[in-house]
Amino acid sequence: MMKTIAYFEASHDMPEEVLSAAGFVPRKIFGNVHASNDPADQYLQPFFCPAARSALTEALSLSGQWEGIVIAQGCNATNRHYDVWKRHVKTPFLHWFNTPLKNDEPAVRFMKTELWRLIDAINRHFGIVVTDDMLARANHESNAIKKQLQVFSGLRAKKDIANREYLEILMKTMILPRAEALTEIQAAVDGLKNRGPFPKDKKKVLLTGSDVTYPELMDLFDEAGLRVVRDDLSVGERYFSTLIPETGDPLEALARHYLSTPRPATKLGMRDRIRYLETAVAASGLKAVISQNLKFCEPFAYDAVLVNEALKARGCSVLHAEREYTPQADNQLLNRLAAFTEMVESS
Amino acid sequence: MNKKNRPAAAQQANEIRVDVLPHAKDLRWPMTWYFLTGKLYSLLPWKKTAWTCAGFPVELLLGLDIFPLHPENMATVAAAQKQSQRLIEHAEGMGYSRDLCSYCKTNIGAVDLEVSLKEGGIARPDIITCTNTICDTHWKWFQIQAEKLDVPIFVFDCPKIVSGTDERTIEGYITYMVEQFYSFFEFVKEHTGREPNIGKMVKAAEQSEQLSALWREIFEYRKCVPAPYSMAETSASFFPMVVMPGVKSGIRFFQKIRDDIKARAAQGRGTLSGGREQYRLMFEGIPFWYRMRFMYDLARYGAVVVYEPYTFSFAPDKPVGLSYTETLRHVAKIMMDRPYSYNLEKRIAYFKQVIEEYRIDGVILHENLSCRPSSTGMIDLKNTLQQECGIPVLIINCDMNDPRVFSEAQMKTRIESFLEIMEDHRNT
Repeated sequence: MMKTIAYFEASHDMPEEVLSAAGFVPRKIFGNVHASNDPADQYLQPFFCPAARSALTEALSLSGQWEGIVIAQGCNATNRHYDVWKRHVKTPFLHWFNTPLKNDEPAVRFMKTELWRLIDAINRHFGIVVTDDMLARANHESNAIKKQLQVFSGLRAKKDIANREYLEILMKTMILPRAEALTEIQAAVDGLKNRGPFPKDKKKVLLTGSDVTYPELMDLFDEAGLRVVRDDLSVGERYFSTLIPETGDPLEALARHYLSTPRPATKLGMRDRIRYLETAVAASGLKAVISQNLKFCEPFAYDAVLVNEALKARGCSVLHAEREYTPQADNQLLNRLAAFTEMVESS
Repeated sequence: MNKKNRPAAAQQANEIRVDVLPHAKDLRWPMTWYFLTGKLYSLLPWKKTAWTCAGFPVELLLGLDIFPLHPENMATVAAAQKQSQRLIEHAEGMGYSRDLCSYCKTNIGAVDLEVSLKEGGIARPDIITCTNTICDTHWKWFQIQAEKLDVPIFVFDCPKIVSGTDERTIEGYITYMVEQFYSFFEFVKEHTGREPNIGKMVKAAEQSEQLSALWREIFEYRKCVPAPYSMAETSASFFPMVVMPGVKSGIRFFQKIRDDIKARAAQGRGTLSGGREQYRLMFEGIPFWYRMRFMYDLARYGAVVVYEPYTFSFAPDKPVGLSYTETLRHVAKIMMDRPYSYNLEKRIAYFKQVIEEYRIDGVILHENLSCRPSSTGMIDLKNTLQQECGIPVLIINCDMNDPRVFSEAQMKTRIESFLEIMEDHRNT
């Protein structure tokens, strides 16, 4: 059985290809919304991001099953919590990966240095040598998964694909061994061939804001009559919308790839983020956007006002909601979503 | 707390006060200079200004003949003038979440309402520049305002020196930072036409180091028992280091208060009237700007904050006499590694050293709803200090600029209980 190295990130910041090139299963730490955050709350205050606290809870409970953990810089929950993880999470290998905030040429050079540092740390700790060929294969494997996800995602606007189904397949690809992940997503895409068309009673929306890491929230959108057909989430399009260049130096390709994915709120470039969203709504003919913010998720909360104003200026109806980290149906939110659906219908 | 069990010092409440330094009021001169010069630079079309934030090397701007304006500092002015709540609520009305930084919302409200300088207002700058060294909020906030005001922005991406980072890695981080200095100079030239003036930069750095050295000297005197100077006064007097570290009027002011403190120390006098210092405290975090009386209230119990990392953070050793390249590398290191943003391992070691050197009886940690980065690790910090230094540590949950979070009665109860614990601890 393949061994796992888990990683904690705020967005899509962790070059998981390095881990797979080294022969490990890269496993994103999502946290578990169904489990109490009490274990993490011994060390982290309740006014910190609940998803980050849940990630620590998961690590405290499962780290014994992993060969190591990498924490990649995204927001202050990653760099500041690293110190807390270092004190309390038992793991033989804990590495800090400092993904840059920017994406200019100095940032690309810095990203390459960080990639070398990660590879060097893995080589030294596990007594292996990650070669360029191994990296190139991992990049290729990753692209194969991304391409299938692009197909799956593209069908959201055409077929009857529940919001939950999209999120669940994505989450699977981020925790399974790469080959298994590819098989899963291929099977999922094949399974859509005979799927019925997009339901007439659903309204198409774009979803933006904090990452959604549990399907119950996606169910809530469906229940309100909303179908997410585009998004800019990290457990979403940001993960697969761009491919890793497969020519030239594979490390350089990785560095450039990770700095050219659609910008999240945790990285510099709100204007780029707005442009991606504007292009997405224009390309899909969408007129409705759900902007949601996980309680205490600061980067997206800062962006929300101007991002939503920009989308409204493009003629979109935008619903902004702050949500708790809970799998329980939030009826207040459901009412707002249902009212939004009615508003979209009437317009 | 019943009267019988109250600490002896508490029974003398209302009798003890802070003896303000003779030259404390002279702070008005550097402040006046700063505000007038800032106003002038904002009005004259050939002069240039920049918004900047804590953690940014202001000397760089002075070397470029660009006047630094500080939205954070103006947010504290708004709080001191009892204006922050209405400005924060205005920003929340614009859609900014209640959970976001109160400095940021104060500034967003102030700009949107175009309030005066006295109420925390600030002029539109020519450029905006900041770092992510202290928090994400700095660059998120400045990015919003750059967008709204249509002003070009440059953000320094400071790599994070997490616990256990080795020197080789830090050197790599510094190289990345130095590359950004050159990008910054290009950015400044493009948007203001200014180019680095090495002579001016060296002068600013030298004067800045003079100012920092004076502050560090003042901190040395605070080791005296009783302490001749406390956070009740430093929270205001450190102002020149934040906004005008390379300027002479600040140096003159620091020299005067240093001399006051020196004279007091020579006489064995403390900052509390009658030398009735009972408890020596360390305060971690940003003070409550809307409620500066808090520090004076502590004095009523004979409690003196003799050390606060917050103001000390603005006085690192600054490079003088190094080559240009060495200077940039040194500045880069300082930007990434300052007491306010130390990683947990370094923070614990630092606190332990301060506790010993300053003979601290207890530590107050401000768990700041507006500053999650500085609040992270506080539980470990508290537990470790209690176990390894054997002194009481109190975490108080509050906010630096949002008075809605401050509860007078709850705060009083917590502080009195803490003082009681310190008293018990002393007697056992």
